[in-house]
Amino acid sequence: MKETVCIVCPRGCKLRIDESGGDLAVTGNACRRGRDFAVSELKDPRRTICTTVRTAFPEVPVLPVRLSAEIPKARIFDVMREINAVTVESRVGRGDIIIKDVLSLGADVIASSNLLKEIQ
Amino acid sequence: MNENTYDVIVIGGGPAGLAAAVSARDAGAGVLLIEREARLGGILKQCIHDGFGLLRFGEKLSGPEYAEREIDELRKRNIPAKTLTFVTKIEKERGRFRVHAVSRDGVAVYETAALVLATGCRERTAKQVFIHGTRPSGIFTAGTAQHFTNLLGELPAKKCVILGSGDIGLIMARRLTLEGAQVLGVYEAKPTPSGLTRNLHQCLYDYDIPLYLSHTVTRVFGADRLEGVEIAEVDENMRPVEGTGRRVDCDALILSVGLIPENELAEGLGVEIDPKTKGPVCDGQCMTSVDGVFSCGNALHVNDLADYVSENAAAAGKAAAEYRRIGRKPARLNASEEFLYLVPQRLDLNRSNAGTTVYFRSRCDYNNARLVLSVDGKEVFSKRYAFLRPPEMERLELNFDALGLTERSDVRFTLELQGGKERAQ
Amino acid sequence: MDLRRINRKLKKQFGGRVSAALQDGCVVVSGALERWTDVVAACQTAAKKYSRTHVVNDIVCAEAVDAPMRLPAVNDDALEGASPDVLIIGGGISGASIARELTRWKLDILLVEKEPDVAMQASGRNDGEVHPGVDLGKGSLKHKYIRRGNHMFDKVCEDLNVEFRRVGQYVCFQDGWLRPVVYLYCLWRKYHDGIEDTELIGGEELRRREPYLDPGTKFAISNPSTGVVCPYGLTIAYAENAVENGAKVSLNTAVLGMELQDSKIVSVCTNRGTVFPRLVINAAGVFSEEIAKMAGDRFFSIHPRRGTNSILDKKAGAYLHSVASVINVKTQLRAHTKGGGVMRTAHGNLLAGPDAVETFEKENTETRPESIRVVFDKQKKTLTALSERDIITYFTGVRAPTFEEDFIIEQGRRTKNLIHCAGIQSPGLTTAPAVALDVAGMAVGLLSKEQAPEPNPQFNPVRRGVPTLRKMSDGERGALIRENPDYGVIVCRCEEVSKGEILDALRAPICVPTVDGVKKRVRPGMGRCQGGFCSPLVTKIIADFLGVPVSDVRKSSAASVITYGQTKGGEGGSAR
Repeated sequence: MKETVCIVCPRGCKLRIDESGGDLAVTGNACRRGRDFAVSELKDPRRTICTTVRTAFPEVPVLPVRLSAEIPKARIFDVMREINAVTVESRVGRGDIIIKDVLSLGADVIASSNLLKEIQ
Repeated sequence: MNENTYDVIVIGGGPAGLAAAVSARDAGAGVLLIEREARLGGILKQCIHDGFGLLRFGEKLSGPEYAEREIDELRKRNIPAKTLTFVTKIEKERGRFRVHAVSRDGVAVYETAALVLATGCRERTAKQVFIHGTRPSGIFTAGTAQHFTNLLGELPAKKCVILGSGDIGLIMARRLTLEGAQVLGVYEAKPTPSGLTRNLHQCLYDYDIPLYLSHTVTRVFGADRLEGVEIAEVDENMRPVEGTGRRVDCDALILSVGLIPENELAEGLGVEIDPKTKGPVCDGQCMTSVDGVFSCGNALHVNDLADYVSENAAAAGKAAAEYRRIGRKPARLNASEEFLYLVPQRLDLNRSNAGTTVYFRSRCDYNNARLVLSVDGKEVFSKRYAFLRPPEMERLELNFDALGLTERSDVRFTLELQGGKERAQ
Repeated sequence: MDLRRINRKLKKQFGGRVSAALQDGCVVVSGALERWTDVVAACQTAAKKYSRTHVVNDIVCAEAVDAPMRLPAVNDDALEGASPDVLIIGGGISGASIARELTRWKLDILLVEKEPDVAMQASGRNDGEVHPGVDLGKGSLKHKYIRRGNHMFDKVCEDLNVEFRRVGQYVCFQDGWLRPVVYLYCLWRKYHDGIEDTELIGGEELRRREPYLDPGTKFAISNPSTGVVCPYGLTIAYAENAVENGAKVSLNTAVLGMELQDSKIVSVCTNRGTVFPRLVINAAGVFSEEIAKMAGDRFFSIHPRRGTNSILDKKAGAYLHSVASVINVKTQLRAHTKGGGVMRTAHGNLLAGPDAVETFEKENTETRPESIRVVFDKQKKTLTALSERDIITYFTGVRAPTFEEDFIIEQGRRTKNLIHCAGIQSPGLTTAPAVALDVAGMAVGLLSKEQAPEPNPQFNPVRRGVPTLRKMSDGERGALIRENPDYGVIVCRCEEVSKGEILDALRAPICVPTVDGVKKRVRPGMGRCQGGFCSPLVTKIIADFLGVPVSDVRKSSAASVITYGQTKGGEGGSAR
């Protein structure tokens, strides 16, 4: 029996995962996403990253970015290193890809703001 | 009508102000939005983490994404927004408001029938929680540290202690860790965490950052840059226990010790403030004690989700657009002491209260609580909660019009506790 | 001076561990004691209040080993070989005001201050009261200067463009039976001591003027000439006006030693080079004893006394218009301060404090919880609405009294080209304008022995200063914004400070491009959010002004780093 807290939504359900029967039995979740989270948390915990990336524009020294999909939790700092090595030099907009398929993990680093489009 | 005259003026261009302006426009009003910063979006501009928008957009968005969607709505409607414009004073004259504002263009006066105050909140500071010692650099509120990190791209700490387990503190613990800083621990004076449970997990436990409950920072060291803090255990009254102090060396202290609604403009207008929320006393239309002045978002009470701020502000904007000067018929909404607070604090029976959203927080952690709404001692509504926690705001939609209320009705919310009071963890 | 009586008392108190002796016209107390409080007590036993025969403390105290004087990080030769007519040591209210008064003559004036700004110690860490002198009797230098200083404030503040308001002071009494005695005391002060504005007013009149004062107040001593001023604002203004009139102010400059010849200072060694002044003025506050010693003229001792003030939200400022305190006769007869009070500051905040605690640490300005507690416990009896919940900040200053509790304003007793302006504590802010005139006169007199200085025909007593836009009408404000649109960009929401005002402060005659320097000049970060919103913006404005990265901007001193550089580190690759 394992316990965790669902982080999918702000509700924060306390999940109990019973793997004794071979099949995973999840209780405490208020919705299906809670069950999916519990299963993933046990087998392959995944997280997203929200951070910034350096830009070449002095008015906007950094641009907020995030991942388009979750990556294995253990790879967070590897991906951070990739993001920190990049400088955005064009006026990318919200949703534009900054790094495609970062470290072949199946997630893109995308801009999460139109900031660079707004500056003069 | 001259060009500086509006039906509704919204002060504040954060999530509350944006939603209020849009909904006031949709309700047919001529709207002006005034924002003191250079860009719209308020604090969301620097909240680059995700978790916003699940309720409002059905998607997990970052703060900038959420804010920009709201800004897009504003722009679609061509609602004028004066940025880098600061309201210096508001005068009330014959039922209308004259809003004085300065900007690079000079001083302007805008006139309106209804005002929506969406001025947000500010952070409690080190000395407001009675931290003593020297005055070095390196002491930041979480929001200030977030501004440096996320907007200026500057690292405010290499090895830090975080005081307070409010959500911004937890978010900053993760953020600084990602940027290579070492977070020695999060210390919380209360016996229970102040932030959302999922933030404890995804911001602290994921990164092995320890959380110390019933501990506080009492003193800081360092003549120039911060060199260390003194941590002490606190008793049940949150007072430091003598002899428990120990020094922790660090170069930054980040504070997440509470938010205070900003209501200087409201107070200048004579708006009554609720000592519990530190925001205006309002009715089901978000109208304050001063006719024509509406309050919403974190200026009204501190919310834990931007989505709730937008929802509440949209209601305020709509009400402001529909505002007509008619007399008020107030009925108080009483809340028992198990509530930390309940908003709105009253209803205006001259207006419809058919779909009123009530927001509340419990005073302590409660398991198996039953919320009861009674009118003159008679139960008219109840709802069961498996658990209630002060950091997690609850909302209820109620049709008060069906209850046949009068000004003399005793409308009362109580919490019946079956499981009794329970301290978490 | 009855030395035998003093030694008898010391023997009784300390069992022969300390004794007093007359040396070079001073009462030198020596021996060894464990506790600093005993050292202070012994010296106080040997001292006579207001006497010009001073106690010199040579007691070895095991407990009281103060940290060495904090020195600036900079070491260069910026001042090497300079030979000013006058070298002023110390950039507090005394040094700054003396510098300004001296610029009325054609003199080469150099003021050195070891801190990164002027008004960093006692002058920047007090309540800003301009005292009436109602607690002072004839015979002291404090009394000699108090009325003159107080009267000068309207003109000085108008010239220097510093806000000053006469708000009045009420010393409140809750014991009605004391009224006849206090009435006589008032008459004595008014007619004998010349504190001409002293009046006694009844409780009803008092509450008409100040409705929030404790309802138990039966009567009060009123002194309408009492004023409030921003103490660091005035110090900065004096220093800036001195610079505008030709004086040089060198910050981050500490005096490390002196060379004497024939009872004259020939050179003064600093961390920025050796200076060869004709005349030295010692205005070094808590370090004035050390400076006197370097100059071979140590005839007094300083015993530092800490005081903490709390600043409350401007909303609480509505509770009071004036300066008020409550007197408890039983506990207060022997105290060296009125025991603090409550007041509305020049900026409109409520202020409570200070307390008074003896300390051997000259530069320890840490705050402690008990200081706040003591002041609030007491002052809630003055103002019932006073609440710790309204506190936005608190700070500690260290006073620099002598054991005689009076100022030392005189030429060196042994060293010829030296003037002391030492032992300055409350009411040193009030007396500063008058003392500065006298010290400047003394300096001119001394210099005239060689060569009389000429008046400075270019002297302009008026300092333009930075406009305060929040106090202006819409019309005035609009006109200024048309001239400079930066005046319309509000950076600090709590204190309503514009970018234009911040840039003006950076372009002022004394540029202190730090967050604290800007804060003291035009107030961003002084309000209820304490810089929570504006400090990153102010930091960025300073960085842009200096043309340096944000991480090069400091809070105050060279080591008070704000950020550690870019989050993304050094150079990286690029995409898109």
